[in-house]
Amino acid sequence: MHHLMTKKNISFAGSIALLFLFFSVIHAWAKVDDTVVPSMDVRAEEIFVAGASASDAEEDDWIDEDSWDEEWEDEELIADPLEPLNRLFFHFNDKLYYWVLKPVARVYSGVFPVEIQIAVRNFFDNLRAPTRAVNCLLQGRVQNSSQEVVRFALNSTVGIFGFGDFARDVLGLNSSNEDTGQTLGYYGAGGGFYINWPFLGPANFRDSIGMVGDAYLHPFIFLDVDWEVTVGAWALEKVNYTALTLGDYELFTETALDPYAAVKDAYQQYRKGLIENK
Amino acid sequence: MLQHKSRIVVILLTMVCLIFGARGAALAKGPMNQLQVAVDEIMEILQSNELKGTDQKEKRKQLVLNVVVDMFDFREMARSSLGPSWNDLTAEEQDKFVGLFTSLIEERYIGKIDSYNNQKVIYKKERIKGSMAIIYTAIVDNELEIPIDYKLKEDQGKWLIHDLKIENVSLIANYRRDFDGILRKEQFAGLVKKIEEQLENSKHQN
Repeated sequence: MHHLMTKKNISFAGSIALLFLFFSVIHAWAKVDDTVVPSMDVRAEEIFVAGASASDAEEDDWIDEDSWDEEWEDEELIADPLEPLNRLFFHFNDKLYYWVLKPVARVYSGVFPVEIQIAVRNFFDNLRAPTRAVNCLLQGRVQNSSQEVVRFALNSTVGIFGFGDFARDVLGLNSSNEDTGQTLGYYGAGGGFYINWPFLGPANFRDSIGMVGDAYLHPFIFLDVDWEVTVGAWALEKVNYTALTLGDYELFTETALDPYAAVKDAYQQYRKGLIENK
Repeated sequence: MLQHKSRIVVILLTMVCLIFGARGAALAKGPMNQLQVAVDEIMEILQSNELKGTDQKEKRKQLVLNVVVDMFDFREMARSSLGPSWNDLTAEEQDKFVGLFTSLIEERYIGKIDSYNNQKVIYKKERIKGSMAIIYTAIVDNELEIPIDYKLKEDQGKWLIHDLKIENVSLIANYRRDFDGILRKEQFAGLVKKIEEQLENSKHQN
């Protein structure tokens, strides 16, 4: 990713970020101005409740009688023209998990207690706040977007570099899981064919483009951090995540008959849910 | 006189308690309540000090399974996971498949349950539509909320789970895709063989 960055790109990303920050601050102020707010706590709760009721309104067709009995209708099958190659990479990632990631994560979780692991996860998660904020905004979710900005500002400072989730724990400001792939989906882009990347795992064409977009919005990239550091950080995040979810991958793949097919379908369902914000 | 009055108050209060108590019991039959009772029962088993430790693993598993068996409609889940191919099977084949499918699900969820570490379950809301219901819950795992939605159907006053979605991934839809690929290439016999092999493998690993 490093070689893709030019000075021009950095200043472009920088100005977008600045514009965005400016916009959300204005927006947050405007909100405070037109309502008499007794305390920050109540405001946070309001935002949270507003978000919850919005998703309540969305109907879930899972319960509908029609879909209940006609479940056997074929859902759209994800195209997989690269299947032989994808299976090869799936196998590679599988081995990478059992031979490298899992043993390392075991040692790691023996050394660092769960509290530290959660803090590390928070740290990396906080670095994705700009990605989430921009993508919320691109999907017209202005409130969620400013919430992400507030979260980023608070958690990076009061939360000490994002190790703590002050905004969630104290103000009840939850994060919204948005990324560039979802934004493309929001504007009607289909997933395209399935790609199982080595190291990165399951994706499709749309979300792979999304991953590039996400990378450009990541502080490591727009602050032009050395690529060795970026790769190291990525590996640490991966190990930390594995330590927190040890056993989940094994359980899923060992109770599936064709783990490749099961992971492919789970990915599709998971992304669909995220795009529809269920 | 004062004593008499207070006695009436006590009687009235008792009656109110009885009436509302009965109402509470009736409400407890709703799908969310039923699920909550079962989940609490499982948690109690998992938290019990007498059943801790690896030597108690089999006993613990059996007790949990006793509760789980009453929560799910395994036959319906098996039928639905197979799709239209279900109708092509003989009655014996269907029964055999239900048994294998049940073991597969048990393997996946008992495995997960065994790593239970006092995670909290949040019951968010229930939506009931005739004899069908969806219950939205979340499990808080290492401070992260993982949404789990249950789809239930009522059968003679008892709500049974027909499907569940973890982070929007439906268990039945996922198995249907998985089975479908194998049925296409190796038919029902191949599917049975694959499930048996898989169950054999997990037995060795545990």
